[in-house]
Amino acid sequence: MTSRLLELQDLLFAWPGTRQNYLAISEFHLNRGETLFLHGPSGCGKSTLLSLLAGVLLPHTGDVSLLGIPWKALPATERDRYRVDHLGYIFQQFNLLTYLTALDNVLLPCHFSTRRREAAKHHAGSARKAAEYWLQGMGLDESIWQRPAHKLSVGQQQRVAAARALIGQPDLVIADEPTSALDEDSRAVFLDLLLSSCAAADTALVFVSHDHRIASRFSRQISLPSINQALHNEVPG
Amino acid sequence: MDFTPQAALSRRQLLMTATVAYLGTTSMVQAAAFREVTWEALVPSDWDPMKSFTDMQALGELPDSDPRVQALYDRMRKVWDEAPTVPTMQGQDVKIPGFIVPLEGNEKALREFLLVPYFGACIHSPPPPANQIIHVRATPPARGFKTMSAVWVSGTLDLERNQSEMGVTGYSLKAIRVEKYREK
Amino acid sequence: MSKLFLIQLAWRSAWNRRFTLALTICSIALSTFMLLGVERVRTDLRSSFSSAVSGTDLVVGARTGSVPLLLYSVFHVGAATNNIRWASVEAIKHLRGVAWVVPLSLGDSHRGFAVLGTTQDYFEHFRYGEQQPLQLREGQRFSKLYDAVIGAEVADRLGYQLGERITLAHGTGEVSLGADHSDKPFTVVGMLARTGTPVDRTVHISLEAMEAIHVDWMAGAPFPGMQINAEETQKMNLQPKSVTAAMVGLHSRAAVFSVQRQINNFTEEPLMSILPGVALDELWDVVGVGEKALLLMSSLVALVSMAGLMSVVLAGLNERRRELAILRAVGASLQHVLLLLALEGALLTLTGVILGITTLAGCVLVLGPWLQSSLGLTLVLVEPTAMQGILLATLLVTGWLASLLPGWRAYRLSLADGLSPRI
Repeated sequence: MTSRLLELQDLLFAWPGTRQNYLAISEFHLNRGETLFLHGPSGCGKSTLLSLLAGVLLPHTGDVSLLGIPWKALPATERDRYRVDHLGYIFQQFNLLTYLTALDNVLLPCHFSTRRREAAKHHAGSARKAAEYWLQGMGLDESIWQRPAHKLSVGQQQRVAAARALIGQPDLVIADEPTSALDEDSRAVFLDLLLSSCAAADTALVFVSHDHRIASRFSRQISLPSINQALHNEVPG
Repeated sequence: MDFTPQAALSRRQLLMTATVAYLGTTSMVQAAAFREVTWEALVPSDWDPMKSFTDMQALGELPDSDPRVQALYDRMRKVWDEAPTVPTMQGQDVKIPGFIVPLEGNEKALREFLLVPYFGACIHSPPPPANQIIHVRATPPARGFKTMSAVWVSGTLDLERNQSEMGVTGYSLKAIRVEKYREK
Repeated sequence: MSKLFLIQLAWRSAWNRRFTLALTICSIALSTFMLLGVERVRTDLRSSFSSAVSGTDLVVGARTGSVPLLLYSVFHVGAATNNIRWASVEAIKHLRGVAWVVPLSLGDSHRGFAVLGTTQDYFEHFRYGEQQPLQLREGQRFSKLYDAVIGAEVADRLGYQLGERITLAHGTGEVSLGADHSDKPFTVVGMLARTGTPVDRTVHISLEAMEAIHVDWMAGAPFPGMQINAEETQKMNLQPKSVTAAMVGLHSRAAVFSVQRQINNFTEEPLMSILPGVALDELWDVVGVGEKALLLMSSLVALVSMAGLMSVVLAGLNERRRELAILRAVGASLQHVLLLLALEGALLTLTGVILGITTLAGCVLVLGPWLQSSLGLTLVLVEPTAMQGILLATLLVTGWLASLLPGWRAYRLSLADGLSPRI
């Protein structure tokens, strides 16, 4: 059983319809429990790389494997299932379904993944209790739980998103600039909570940001332009 | 629960088999019990209504409005109205095709109707003789039929008796099934 | 488990956008209302009409058309162009196979309700519905010359009691401009129980009374200089010389064709006789054309509603790309997205349909009594017809199909966007 969580080999990715490679990365890996700080200037392809790591996009050459299984080897529906089984995702903003409560938002992955639902039950007794645990863990008390998502502040929403990403002990959490929309104080609080939660659950973390000041808090740092061998980046129109 | 799953299964199987057997038998019985008859079977073989109309030939060229022709029609009408029935048809279970003339009810539930052998029997053609009209009472009532619908009627024939000087006046039928007529 | 959750998700997502979708749901509700309503009225109209007369083998009148004869003699709608002579009525009584004859005399009215002159035999032989005889809820049949027996609707709408004095008007208009028989008032001696047929809206008097009120009239107006008062009429011979129509019952129902032929070929006067059931079917053939047109119109409305549903959902898809990306992030596959949109369309259609059915039921409840009393149309609340079931199923299936296009579009959008939708 490898401790390699993510493995990327000889990856070449071009946007459909373009001939120029957008990303060319020869090797990349992530181990269990590692926290990775991924940075680079705007438009350098960070979000695209995240999509490739999460199996949402497929490279035309090379492989990306999660827990030893290459994304390409799975048919589309199974890919979606595999993704939610092992991976939690946090967007920069608008993470939540506005018509659900905070609690229901956190429970979403448990509806689509049996594995995570079982893990949540195992962890806290029931999926609901697990959701409450994680919300609590992200500093949100009971009064927030039943509030509809559109009534939460941005900071609260991001924390709910983190709880949702962590419920059911996924192996990896990918966060795409989750603090960019928050103010300074909220950023610090959020980061504290996220890092401690990941450490407690032994969940790996890929964190994208261009705030270098927090880089030291992560076990590894990677600058995307430094590993991307594509000739030049074009932001697809 | 007071029975095991296995017992429940075999009970259900038994019930299903019994239902299928029952339905199969009834429909077979129904199919077998109603023999198809034609309208000719309702007419006694020795009835010849034209016997007394030897003078018809002579009046063949006169217009309909001529009083002699009218008198002839009246005589014919009387003979046809008193047309005899076939006694052995009483109580027979038959299936007979014909056209509907509604009496009681409507398209949704037709309870009583007359069954005639040809289309337009109530409009322009001369009406049929009394042994070629069947007074049908349908239970359950027939659905989806109107005037001149072509149907198969299955049921038990009977001879109608009325308190008039005419004695037996025709056929009646207790129909258990009325279905749309389809060419075989 | 996922399926039930998807339904919940679809519902809550749609509820979130309810103001945008409300109009579409209302239009689906309207088309449901129209389609089911047309079918309801069509079926119940036939039931109401066919229950108006039962047990009568033939209706005889002057030679017009079978549908007009049926309409004026049984439903008191329209008017006869000619009457039939009393001698003909007598002759019919003596025809081979005839058991009873009830003459009918029409033409007058009382405050909008038809007046029918007839004999005691009417109360004996008239049947409605499933061979039900007429019942008196109060009082008795007419016996004295100026007695009247009124139907339930006449009694209830005008608030009459036994002993009420009423005046009949000449002609069938609701407003009488002085052409009335006020010199010969009638007394209400009986009130009939409700039947749900035109009988409820009729004032019944004897044939002799009908003669009596017209004895000093000629050609539709009081004869000047000739005024015979009510007292004097009692002493006169009031044998009617003609009547409007007659109902005929036979000893054997199968003999109807023969008797009909004899009446139609009557040499003394041009008569025609109809089988009520057959004449009604002819009426439906005529009305049926209009009904088909109504059904077609309603179907078009339904199609337009479905197109509206499709376009509203399609137009809103752009704003929902975020929503779809979030769902993809938490594990929904593209098939789930397609299914979600399809479920949403099905739910919206179902909501619209239920709203339409409820509105129809409400209208039937509220308007039912009025329709019954003024038009004789009894609408049934329960008992959906087979056709209604088919229409309903078609609506639901069409709604679901209409949501497949937006579903497909959502699928493609989600596929292209992945987890980073471009807004």
